[in-house]
Amino acid sequence: MDRGMVIFLGALFTFSSSWLGLIVFPFQQLGHEQPYQKSDSDDPYPQPLQGIAVAGKRVYQANGCMYCHSQQVRSQRFGNWWDDNGEERTGADIKRSWGLRRTVSRDYLYDNPTMLGTMRTGPDLANIGVRNPSAMWHHTHLLNPRSANPWSIMPSFPYLYKREKIVGDRSEKALLLGREWTVHPGYRWRPTPQQWDELLRERGATILRQVLASAPTETFDLTTADGQKRLLDFWLTTPEEDYQIVPTADGEALVAYLLALRKAEVPLPEAKE
Amino acid sequence: MTAVEIALFATVIGSMVLFGGAAVLALGWAFRSGQFDNFDRGAKSIFGPDEPIGEATDGFPDMNHERK
Amino acid sequence: MATTAAMTTTVDDSARDRAQAAAERAAIDASCRGPVLFFAASAIVWLLVGSLLALLASVKLHTPYLLTASPELTFGRVRMAHLQAMGYGWLSLATVAALLWQMCRLSRAELVYPKLLILAGVLWNIGQFLAVVGIILGDATSVEWLEAPAYAPPFFIAAVGIISAWTVAVFRRRREPHVYVTQWYILGAIFWFPWLYLVAQFMIFWSTAVGVVQPIVNWWFGHNVIGLWFTPVAVGTAYYLIPKIIGRPIHSYYLSIIGFWSLALFYSWAGMHHLIGGPIPGWLSSASTVGSMMMLIPVLAVAINHHMTMRGHFHRLRYSPALRFTVFGAIAYTLVSVQGSFEALKDFSEVTHFTHYTVAHAHLGVYGFVTMIMFGLFYYMVPRLTGREWASSTLIRVHFWCAAVGIAIYFAGLSIGGWWQGRMLNNPNVPFAHIVNYTLPYLFSRSIAGTLMTAGHLAFTVLFVMNVAGWGQQRAGGPTFFVEPPSASLSGPQRIGPRDL
Repeated sequence: MDRGMVIFLGALFTFSSSWLGLIVFPFQQLGHEQPYQKSDSDDPYPQPLQGIAVAGKRVYQANGCMYCHSQQVRSQRFGNWWDDNGEERTGADIKRSWGLRRTVSRDYLYDNPTMLGTMRTGPDLANIGVRNPSAMWHHTHLLNPRSANPWSIMPSFPYLYKREKIVGDRSEKALLLGREWTVHPGYRWRPTPQQWDELLRERGATILRQVLASAPTETFDLTTADGQKRLLDFWLTTPEEDYQIVPTADGEALVAYLLALRKAEVPLPEAKE
Repeated sequence: MTAVEIALFATVIGSMVLFGGAAVLALGWAFRSGQFDNFDRGAKSIFGPDEPIGEATDGFPDMNHERK
Repeated sequence: MATTAAMTTTVDDSARDRAQAAAERAAIDASCRGPVLFFAASAIVWLLVGSLLALLASVKLHTPYLLTASPELTFGRVRMAHLQAMGYGWLSLATVAALLWQMCRLSRAELVYPKLLILAGVLWNIGQFLAVVGIILGDATSVEWLEAPAYAPPFFIAAVGIISAWTVAVFRRRREPHVYVTQWYILGAIFWFPWLYLVAQFMIFWSTAVGVVQPIVNWWFGHNVIGLWFTPVAVGTAYYLIPKIIGRPIHSYYLSIIGFWSLALFYSWAGMHHLIGGPIPGWLSSASTVGSMMMLIPVLAVAINHHMTMRGHFHRLRYSPALRFTVFGAIAYTLVSVQGSFEALKDFSEVTHFTHYTVAHAHLGVYGFVTMIMFGLFYYMVPRLTGREWASSTLIRVHFWCAAVGIAIYFAGLSIGGWWQGRMLNNPNVPFAHIVNYTLPYLFSRSIAGTLMTAGHLAFTVLFVMNVAGWGQQRAGGPTFFVEPPSASLSGPQRIGPRDL
């Protein structure tokens, strides 16, 4: 075949077929979807992101969250597994309580970019705002996921938080975490045996008072190594006295975005499964 | 399937047939006009007098026993 | 057999022809030297950057406390920067080097407008630098394969425009009347890639395609950038290098034509299986499943063709580095494509989707297939551009075995781990903690594989730098060639020891 033009036209035609079929037609088909409103008194669904959640989406994008977390709930027909009786079952996403129903195209009407995701190294987040509505939980988890789930391999995000000296009262936004998580934000702190000996020598009485304040029924025999270690374990779970960890603007925005992820909440006529 | 979906499906299948058909027609034309004649020559076009068929042209740098 | 007199004339004539053809080939290679080596060198720089980012991301996934306080080096950013460095730095720039050189050689035309090409290379590298640094600093888009912040794409678009126009210009100056199959693949690629990239950029970032249209465009692009940009040039390279190295024409030119046109028709339809089960119209993923299964036709056509060409010449894998890398890549192409076709089926996909199995598959494609063929091409091409042989065959062996064993461990580990990860994800009675713990050893095996591959890349970089710096043995005159000793490599007292591998 000696003609460039033949190759060019062939390449053009074969490729336009997929361009028309996979891009232009879906664009036409999906381009005119409207929000769903069951009755005039209901708010239309979905709603665009509001307030700082918009900035939170930027944080989610910038840090590549979607490379481990998908945002889609698959239908009851997807995901085959075998129960204890050896019977084949499907629909794992919904049974894992990742959403009450499958997600459909209308759920993503205002998403830009639409981060459906292709990996589930971590759990699906399409519906995380409904599944776990506690902002404080998300903050403690983001600071160091191991503080919530010891087995987690998610990165810590200490740069979304700042550790600051408490001036006056502890902030309302301060994270409720023991000192093991807050001394080195993002890591888990534990003094070496020598450091602990030193701490006990210098501030032993204060430390014991602090621990007993939160665990009044406990007794510690500080003459034994075992008792000292037990005191350390308790002490590490008590909050620092002088320092607190508060979210930065990015941290607050990201959690606002996570809480706004409420797909698969409102029933839609086209998503029965 | 709604009517819209059927219409879309028909359009997609139709376009596949159309473009696929165009490709087949182009192939047919190419055959008839002799574009595919003398394949042998085509396959041999990358060889020349300096690097003729039957001569290998690459080896590890220190394996000189393969060289002339 | 001709008469003696006629034979003498033929020998004289053929010696003159030979010298003439050698001079022409040498002139073409010499004209390519600057621009092609520039693309090749910058590709290797990005290969190293991408390798280090990959290694860091891989270790972070099983050792989450590593550098966890750094926003710049958080897993998500490093992973995105890795993809950009490898996809648009290493793979694309190597692809450009491959297509420039092969287009000149196959057209028997000298490279024209070298400064324009250098400009394209500089623009591309600026865009690439902005993309990687922008992602690290927190400007990423989180659109897979298009993570580059908005200020990088204009550089890519300008560079690709120059390269495509230049390729057509050289093609139109061709002295060789026949258009070899490699040239079709190159012509297809330089036409498809700009179209893909512009449509994706336009629809995702510059216009208002929101909602699920975005992931549809995204995966049409993401899959096709592999299938219609890297794959055609890599397959085309194999179609040139294998016959050229062993000195035997391609087994069936018919098959190569069928392979080309069926690839063009079917691959472009295959991308939507990345969204199977997702919130997109069902017919889309069905159409893609059909496209994926039809891909068996071009893949088997290429596999049969390459195998039949190599038949009887496999012993040459022992002494030609270029051939060994290229054939490795060609075999990986068959494996990864057949695997990909079945991965698009619903029953298969609902287990492997969302798991490390897909990551293993992707790396068998971009590394086992495309990268290995590009290595093969570099081993063949660079000495012909610099006039120097490779300085150390030991380093070549180190490179090959690190790369080959590395990708094998990578693929095996993540495929097995990913498969069971998918099975457990589908069973709601298995707690998520159990799945995470289960995958850890496999993620660790990936770090071992990544270390090996990176070591291989370092060996390769040293070889390349030495060659360009003039440390290798000089090639004898223009393009050297050597006559294969008739069946010498098979018969005769030969020891095949580990050193020969």
